[in-house]
Amino acid sequence: MKRDTSTIRPRHSRLNRFGVVDFVLSAILILFGLMILYPFWNVILVSVTPTTVYAQHRGMMLWPPKIIWDAYKTTFRSSLIWSGYRNTIIITFLGTAYNMALTILAAYALTKDFIGNRVVRFLIIFPLYFSGGLIPYYLLIQDLRLINTIWVLFLPTGVNIMYLLIISNYFASLPDALEDSARIDGASDFRILFQIILPLSLPLLATFTLYYAVERWNEWYNAMLFVKSVSLWPLQNVLRTIINDVTVMASQNIPGQVRPDIASDNIKMSSIIVSMLPMMMLYPFLQRYFLSGLTLGAVKE
Amino acid sequence: MAEIQQQRETAMTPGGAAIAPSARRRPREPLNWKRIGKRIWRYKWIYVMMLPTLIVIFIFRYIPMYGLQLAFKNYKLAGIAASPWNDFAHFKRMLGYPGFMQALKNTLIISLMRIVIGFPFPIILALMINEVRLRRSKRVLQTIYTFPHFLSWVLLAGIMLNMFGQAGIVRKVIEVINPAWAADWNLLYDAGAYRWMVVFSDMWKEAGWGTIIYLAAIAGIDEALFEAAAIDGAGRGQRIRHILLPGIISMIAIQFVLRVGSMMEGGFDQIFNTYNEPVYRTGDIIDTFVYRMTFQRGADMGFTTAVGLFKNVVNFALLLMANAITRALGQRTLW
Repeated sequence: MKRDTSTIRPRHSRLNRFGVVDFVLSAILILFGLMILYPFWNVILVSVTPTTVYAQHRGMMLWPPKIIWDAYKTTFRSSLIWSGYRNTIIITFLGTAYNMALTILAAYALTKDFIGNRVVRFLIIFPLYFSGGLIPYYLLIQDLRLINTIWVLFLPTGVNIMYLLIISNYFASLPDALEDSARIDGASDFRILFQIILPLSLPLLATFTLYYAVERWNEWYNAMLFVKSVSLWPLQNVLRTIINDVTVMASQNIPGQVRPDIASDNIKMSSIIVSMLPMMMLYPFLQRYFLSGLTLGAVKE
Repeated sequence: MAEIQQQRETAMTPGGAAIAPSARRRPREPLNWKRIGKRIWRYKWIYVMMLPTLIVIFIFRYIPMYGLQLAFKNYKLAGIAASPWNDFAHFKRMLGYPGFMQALKNTLIISLMRIVIGFPFPIILALMINEVRLRRSKRVLQTIYTFPHFLSWVLLAGIMLNMFGQAGIVRKVIEVINPAWAADWNLLYDAGAYRWMVVFSDMWKEAGWGTIIYLAAIAGIDEALFEAAAIDGAGRGQRIRHILLPGIISMIAIQFVLRVGSMMEGGFDQIFNTYNEPVYRTGDIIDTFVYRMTFQRGADMGFTTAVGLFKNVVNFALLLMANAITRALGQRTLW
């Protein structure tokens, strides 16, 4: 194995032999990695293997003996998958923009020494500790006439209080001098926020944009509670239905009989793959942002 | 929902307690209305900036709190305010309600299992990852471990079905080892196994995410300590015992306190998506109980609100306690 010596830290200088302990540790870590990855691989396997072949298979399957794409064809023929994708994309974009706008504005405001800062801070944090619960929330949504609309899928999410506080802390940790000199030049608060503070915080903002996007992508709870029309369902709720009972989709827009070798298991698994496709494709490239942001914000100051 | 959202928020942020308020306390000054007016005017755009957020928080977080009075009322369709008071009737009924006591018990047992088994795991994993010397392998491992955190329980419930279900690969492997075990395979519907499935699948999903905060704490340890230890000839075990663990112990303490503070959260997303009727006996938690009582029977809105309120009050007390302890440990807290 090629070793990049520049990355070896001095703390290991006396231990640079790859000993038995290292071997055992690496083995355990790799094993855990495989335990994480294998279930996903198995989902792919089942989605491309004809059910009859899979049913007769004994023991571990590491490679599909025969590959068919019929399950994917069925999945993509379902209008539910398409409408689910459309709805999820809409709420992910609108919702993330809405979340980020509210979060950034409030985060910046909280760094200022205005009268009432402590009260506002308290009002923002208190809901982390106490909430109204399911029924009052349900009645509220009913009164707001949000039931069975696409708005209910992201409007109630507002801000994630933890993200707001982390971002606010980060803004507060930026040097005041930049802001002061801009203020002397007559820049307004909005201008300072957008032209000075935000450009300095891009990696952090990227991280929290991703976190919000993932939350919106994974939305199912509000849809389950409030959205009765199937055509407004986000992807997760479509997936829930498919996993629990594939007949809903089978009756939806699939011409003729479902062929015998495409039974529910393949379709469930191909639907899982289809619904996590964007995540699978983006995650390896954006992992730096997925992994870094929290520590960035919390350790500062 | 707010409570579930709350749960998600705390779950997404391992470093929660380390956040420090940045507004500084001002020395008290005599009231001078003109000056106050001037100050407010100076910050007018700041008030404008936070207004939308405050409105949204007020509507979706505070108005439901007003609805909590239903816990002391007989709900009528006329509305929250028009419903008549019934004192503590719901609470009296609740204490004798078998499903409730069962759910309370399950919530606490599952939380305890998560703490005892699940809590130490990310710490051990972080210490192990830290021993990997190649930065690139470290990165790859972390990336893999963290991936499931970003997937929904809806999706993971499907994956669990694929692994542990009747046609699942685990059963196929067991069949080769011992056909008798596979014959009465029932893992996903087995009340005895359900809590273990919950705890271990959650560890599988969240352990990698949990390591991030500890690895950050390790990265914050003074490099000189390791150099000194190396010069003194400290081995791996000594290095871990005398430098690494003391270096992250305060982080472990905070995380532990926070974890105990959220004892009443059994993990709605996970349980709701993976449980089924045969496992209600061991797997039904307060949140899922409230959900089913509200939507699947002839709902008594007042009663279920009361159950939710009970949970939230206990939760609140636990969180305040956790907060006080964190502060006593010398950490800055949210308030």
